[in-house]
Amino acid sequence: MESTATHAPSFLNTAREQQRTMVEEYYADLAKAGGPKKPVAYMLVGGNLTEIVRSFGYEVVFPEIVALNCAIKHVSLPNILHAEAQGYGLDVCGYVKNDLGLQELGGETPFGRIPPPDLLVCSFSGCYVYVKWWEALAEKYGCPLFVLDVPYMREPEVQAEDRTYLIAQLKEFIALLERITGRSFDLGELRRVLVQSRRAEEGWVRYLASGRHRPSPIEAYFEAVFYMFPINVLRGTERAAEFYATVNTEVEQRIRSGQYPVPEEKVRLVVEGVPPYPSYRTFWDFFRKWGAVSVAATYPKVGGLFDQGFLHDPGRPFESIADYSLAAYVNQSWPLRRKLIADYVRDYQADAVLIHGIKSCRSFTAGQGDLRDWLIHDLHVPTLYLESDHEDPRYFAPAQIKNRMDAFFESLGPRREGGPPPTEGS
Amino acid sequence: MQEAPGSGPGGPELPASLEFSDDLTEFLRQPSLDQLLQLARDVVLDPTYPTVRAWTRPGRRAVGCFPVYTPQELVHALGLLPVSLHGGGENVEISHADAALGSFLCSISKSTLELALTARLAPFRAFIFPYICDVSRNLEGLFSRLMPGVETHMLHLPQNFRSEATLPFLVAEYRRLIAKLEKAGGEPYRPERLEASIELFNRQRRQVGELTATKRDHPGKLTLTESYLLRRLGGLLPREVHVPLMDRVRSEVEQRPARTKDVLRTLLVGPFCEQPTLDLIDLIEQAGCSIVDDELLQVHRWYGSVETGGDPLVNLARAYVQSPVDIGVRAAPTSKGEAILNRVSAAGAQGVIFLTAKFCEPALEDVVLYRKALDRQKIPYLHLEFDERSTTFEQSRLQLETFVESVLFD
Repeated sequence: MESTATHAPSFLNTAREQQRTMVEEYYADLAKAGGPKKPVAYMLVGGNLTEIVRSFGYEVVFPEIVALNCAIKHVSLPNILHAEAQGYGLDVCGYVKNDLGLQELGGETPFGRIPPPDLLVCSFSGCYVYVKWWEALAEKYGCPLFVLDVPYMREPEVQAEDRTYLIAQLKEFIALLERITGRSFDLGELRRVLVQSRRAEEGWVRYLASGRHRPSPIEAYFEAVFYMFPINVLRGTERAAEFYATVNTEVEQRIRSGQYPVPEEKVRLVVEGVPPYPSYRTFWDFFRKWGAVSVAATYPKVGGLFDQGFLHDPGRPFESIADYSLAAYVNQSWPLRRKLIADYVRDYQADAVLIHGIKSCRSFTAGQGDLRDWLIHDLHVPTLYLESDHEDPRYFAPAQIKNRMDAFFESLGPRREGGPPPTEGS
Repeated sequence: MQEAPGSGPGGPELPASLEFSDDLTEFLRQPSLDQLLQLARDVVLDPTYPTVRAWTRPGRRAVGCFPVYTPQELVHALGLLPVSLHGGGENVEISHADAALGSFLCSISKSTLELALTARLAPFRAFIFPYICDVSRNLEGLFSRLMPGVETHMLHLPQNFRSEATLPFLVAEYRRLIAKLEKAGGEPYRPERLEASIELFNRQRRQVGELTATKRDHPGKLTLTESYLLRRLGGLLPREVHVPLMDRVRSEVEQRPARTKDVLRTLLVGPFCEQPTLDLIDLIEQAGCSIVDDELLQVHRWYGSVETGGDPLVNLARAYVQSPVDIGVRAAPTSKGEAILNRVSAAGAQGVIFLTAKFCEPALEDVVLYRKALDRQKIPYLHLEFDERSTTFEQSRLQLETFVESVLFD
């Protein structure tokens, strides 16, 4: 069943080029930011308030995204080692260590200098480490820290008391921004920005939904990660909205021309977990050699479950921002996560689930072993569970991971043809 | 009290476990403080929750409360026994939970799940997991699947302490908890019952405060292990038993001679959730430290007392929101560096021991900030990592003795 083809992964050409340009320009702009003329806010991806913060003239840094960019460019380890020398232990999140190490080393990266913050906005949405990380930054820089306390999602529907709490905090946040900047909040401007956010989100949802086609015209894990940048970082700009129009045009072109992410789709996967960024291409290759394509994945939803209807709405600005902030993937309880994954398996006609647990992120990972057990024994879905890290290259064991993946994909072949179930991962 | 041959219902063969009478009168009948402490030690080391098994035998119901903080007054007010869970300790072998939880996680999460999967949490009708970290939060999701027939609740403890909306949110959150507990067999919520529970718990909190003050001001009267065992019982026994017990303990402690010796007055920081073994707690003071304040068993010390009068549910929520506690699982009301220096000063400590559980990220991240502040003030400290299942401490002993000597004989 193993494919002998070793094509390089194919991207959507124009979209990939646009994405690359947007990333480069974003970091170039950041390098010039800081101070009263162009203040800098640090923000977290899950439940972020980028539309509000940008409406007050801030440039926004997402240290998680800086960290993953460092990892994928193989420059995270020196930052991590520097943080460890400062006292951050082996068991501390790699994103945190990359960022705090990088801060101590002056913020220089191969893609530009990361300016220090003037404001820290901690959207506590699904990750307790967010609170600790932002406390450390507040201690270092002494700048204002705002904690948006986002209740954990335990029911499928947004609860009225959660929304009320969030809206009250959003209004207090706006009052804080008005005090700090001396500017007045412009609701009309926020609505205009949210129009663009909505356009981008609808385009992103359309892109993700195209994984339902057989064969899938998209790679919903490895490729989608590249296209997450605008939805998380540049949301609210016209450029981000236009970007997804380009993406979807090229996806349609792929379907018309029959050019799919792998030459012959043999395994359709749902992938759960954060990618091992330091070995991103190697990990992807382990899929591609078996003709395995991710048709849906949970990781691209860390910034928000737009595909589940949590879209910004200019007609309900505060309500929709509140609801959106609840909808970070890791802010969903395990029962909600399990249901989402089961729905993806059914709706995207997946053959199997691959879970990638990471050492750094307990929020994502704690309980993934039980998820595997549930998928295999209750849903009878072949499932493989692997572990490494998303940031620290020392935890990626390529030979071991490859062996397990090879065994898993090998055993899927007979099962798909009506044979016995796979042994690996059960 | 008697020892019964133990075997967990549906679980593996267990070591012999303790048996008590339904009303746990054995504790009040112990002839001396030393014998009470020995009994407390036996109870703490027994992973089958013997006191809870006894109390629930006539049909009463118990609720397991994962660390660090839950509003146990509320559980009590519904006629349920709130019980502080503190993992399995050194006597629980992990054979099922590893596979469900994954690697790189703290031992308390694994041993708590292991207790559940081996039926040793059978006496409990409900479990509360507060959002003190991502692992505790996720554990509730596993319990909800793996423990059919019991209620579970993930309690969202707010982290924005400046918003005017936080208090009403927490009241609403407590109402969600009440609904779950009523489903678990709790009596319908009545404010006057909660008011009475708050008064009882306030009394217990005062007693624990007095105990820790005695330990701080007269270190020779009480060892850390003794103080710990008495507090630990406070989360296991019904408060109706523990409160009179502590009244008796206080008078016995007062009569003890105040032994004095050369010791290092030390603040113990870090073990607010997973608990070190009793041997390790013993070792700290054997090495020459006298612990004058600590983060063990925070549930009793989250606030001094809860207001009475007015709406008790609001009072309970306000006590949490306005608490001055500054530990790793509560967003810092002040700078971390300032907080540790204030605590060193308030306790009259000469040094600090950071005793952090393996994989406990909140504690590990705070240590860096604390250390920077202590370095600036030239206050000595030592950082040790532990695991609730560790049984050998030679390396820790060496580090502790070296630390004490380096400060006392500098």
